[in-house]
This record gives sequence, C-alpha cells and structure tokens, in this order.
Amino acid sequence: MNDFGEYVRDRREKLRTWDSSFSVRQVAQRIGVEPSYLSKVERGETAPPSEAKVVLLAKDLGEDPDVLLALAGKVSSDLQAAIRKRPELFANLIRQLRELPDHAILRLVREVRDGDW
Amino acid sequence: MIELKDYNLCFRFPEVHEQAELRINFQRTLRIPDNDKEYPLPPGLGNFPLEHVDDYSERVPERWIEHGGVMLPMYQSEALWVNFSGFYPFAVKVATGKINAVTGESWKKGLNRGPQDYMATPRQPWLDGYCVEKGVIRQFVAMPLGSGYSAEEQITGEAEHGGLQIVVYPLKREVFERRYRTAPSASRFLTGEAIMCVKSVRSAAPDMGLAPGGKMRQEIYDDPNHLEDWDQRHSSRCFVHIANSLMWKDFTGNNPPTVPPTARQYSKAGLPWFDYYSDNGTAVEGSDILSKLKSVVKLGKEKGDVPLPENEPAEINKVVKLREGLKKHQVREGSF
Repeated sequence: MNDFGEYVRDRREKLRTWDSSFSVRQVAQRIGVEPSYLSKVERGETAPPSEAKVVLLAKDLGEDPDVLLALAGKVSSDLQAAIRKRPELFANLIRQLRELPDHAILRLVREVRDGDW
Repeated sequence: MIELKDYNLCFRFPEVHEQAELRINFQRTLRIPDNDKEYPLPPGLGNFPLEHVDDYSERVPERWIEHGGVMLPMYQSEALWVNFSGFYPFAVKVATGKINAVTGESWKKGLNRGPQDYMATPRQPWLDGYCVEKGVIRQFVAMPLGSGYSAEEQITGEAEHGGLQIVVYPLKREVFERRYRTAPSASRFLTGEAIMCVKSVRSAAPDMGLAPGGKMRQEIYDDPNHLEDWDQRHSSRCFVHIANSLMWKDFTGNNPPTVPPTARQYSKAGLPWFDYYSDNGTAVEGSDILSKLKSVVKLGKEKGDVPLPENEPAEINKVVKLREGLKKHQVREGSF
C-alpha cells in the first residue's frame, strides 16, 4: 500500500526516459531533500514528505499538486483554511456534491462574470 | 467560458473542441524609456494578481460591478504586457478604454479586416502596446483615468471606460482538425525575484487607464487563416479593470506587488532583453490613429508635468534571440 511512492517513482521514471535530469538524485536536489530520503519515500519505507515538499515535487514532475497531496493522504492547507473559515457552508457543499459525476461538478466551476459595457 | 486560475484568464470552448483553450495573463515588466529610441522586448517579471471584482463588491467602484470581470493593480507609470499561451488558434481583440490597441478604432463587434483589428494566436505570442507603425509598438503604461494621458482620452476626449477589454474567438473545429498541430512556444520570463525599489507616487484615483509609453520592436502578425475560419458564433469577453496599486490594499486586503526596477537598473544588472523572430509571419501595418497618439513623456511636456520620472535611456547589452518554433529552452544568445 504505497500509492504515493509508487506514483512518484512511476512518473519520475517515465520522465527520465526522455530527460536524464529526472534521476532520483537530481529531483531530490531540486526539491531540497537527500536522494536517499526520496528513494525511501518512493519505496514506501518512509511516510510521504511535508505538504511543502509534496508541492515542490508535484511542480518538478509536472503533476497537479492537489492530486499528489491526496495520494499522500493530505489536503492542501489553503483548502483547509477556506473550509475552516466557513465550515458549515463548505462542509454542506462538499457533502452534497460528493457523489455528483465529474462533468456535473465541472459545470459548477466559477466563471468570470461578464456584465454591461 | 472563462475561469480565473492562478492569476490567469483561462478561456475554454469545449463545445467547439476539447482542446480549444487559451490562457491570457498580464505580465509585470520594465517600463522602457520614452524617447525616440526603439527597444527590444523587456522580460516578464511575473503575473499581475487578478481578482474577480465580485469578491470585493463592497469596496470597488459600482461601475466595476456593472462591468463584471476582473481587476489587477498597477502603479502610476508602471508598464504591462499581455501574454497569450496555448496551441489552439484563437482570434483575440484587445482594447484599452474600449479603443482597439491594434487599429485605434472604437470597440466594435466581430472580427474585421482591412485593417485587421485582432491578433491570431499562437503565432502572436504577446502584445506589449499600441501598434503605432509596422513592427513598432508603444508600450502600455498605466496613468490615472481622467489625467488625459490614456489612449482613450486622447482619442475620444472622454475618460469613460479605462482598463482593458478582451474578446476571444476560437478557430472552427473543422479548420483546426484539418490544418493544425501543436507547437512549442517561446518564453521571455525571468524566474526569481527581480530587484525591488520603492518609489513615491502621486494620484490615488482608483481607476487607471493605459497610455502609450516608449517604443519597442514588436510585430502584430497578419492572421495566417481566412476570416471565415474563425468561429464567430462562440466568443467570451472580459473587462479587466486596472486599479491604482495604492488602492489595492483597501480593496482586497492584500499588498500589491512591488514596483519593478527601472530599465537602466535592469540592464546594469546584466539581465537580458529579448528579440523575437517569426520566419513565417508578416506584420500588419501600423494604425494611423495610434501613430498620432502622444507618448506620456511628450504629452507631459506639453502639460508641464513630469509623469515618468527616471526616464533615462538604458544600455542594452544583452539580447536573447527567440524564434517561433524553438523549444522553450532553446534560445540563441545574441549581443546587441
């Protein structure tokens, strides 16, 4: 049960087939961790890193940060803060929408409103 | 539909094509000196923050809420360029104070040619200002609306709209499938923080308009498509209000970005300017109307004002040549 580690390794190895700068060592260097640590994370021998490091890793690998955070068992702290600020409102919203199919949720996305000019 | 994501306006037309997406953002940049010298392209120093006006409806002017759309902060005499990214072709019209930045005509519906009043992406990667001559633009520089400097005020005599207006039209699905493939895009962004400096500024009127500043070498490319290739049944438009940075904290509770360095400071630090070439593109002619606009410095002299302090010329020592079609990191180093 090492979803996060496996996903990261898969993604990194795929990138490494086109671009040799995606070795464990170089990715680790770019995100500011020891290569041995990143290796352990990929093998599931240690828990996923902090939110900040997961976000850096996502950006380096071209992945969506929220997707990677979810795999790491986390929710981004800005989302947490938004929910905590208006808990009833957002908790209600998410519970109501949780089973809605993707296309229906995407239609709820916030659009830039055009007015009169 | 338009979404606001990470300070980008994301235009999508899934009903036309699943890949019909265009991202527009507004780049902070250096103000190029306003003299008669033509400069190469200044860098992008990061996106201007963009917010929905609706999120601050209690604090922003009421007419902004009537317009809908978004807002960004600029200091008086700060410059901006508009960045287009995405491989699906779009026709984009950009106006400032409802004056078309390519032709100088008043805002009108639809896409027009003779003269071409829009830009065609992805061939057109960005727009830095008003098309005053073939291959030359005058940079977009923010001035308080009502001070008489903006293109709108110079042309119409009124300070009615301010801000920036955008409308986009996607290419017809059949034309896209027949003719296009994806292509990599050129990049003139600097990563990392540029040098900061703080200046005192004068006006705190909330509404800003864009005015013509220094001259820059930039082409508005002729549309390589036929006019009928554009899907004019589908469009999205957005009013981008420009708030005076001094008011930004009152409106949003957030600090505006810092003032960018001067062109001279930037060049002295050895940082690069850019030149962009398209082997395939031909450029539109400049607009007669726009060529008659007085630059901010010129108009300032007539009014007895010094609207652009720190307007010394800059030595351009390092120019990076960008070419359409090169991969993002493939640039040719050049010297000027």
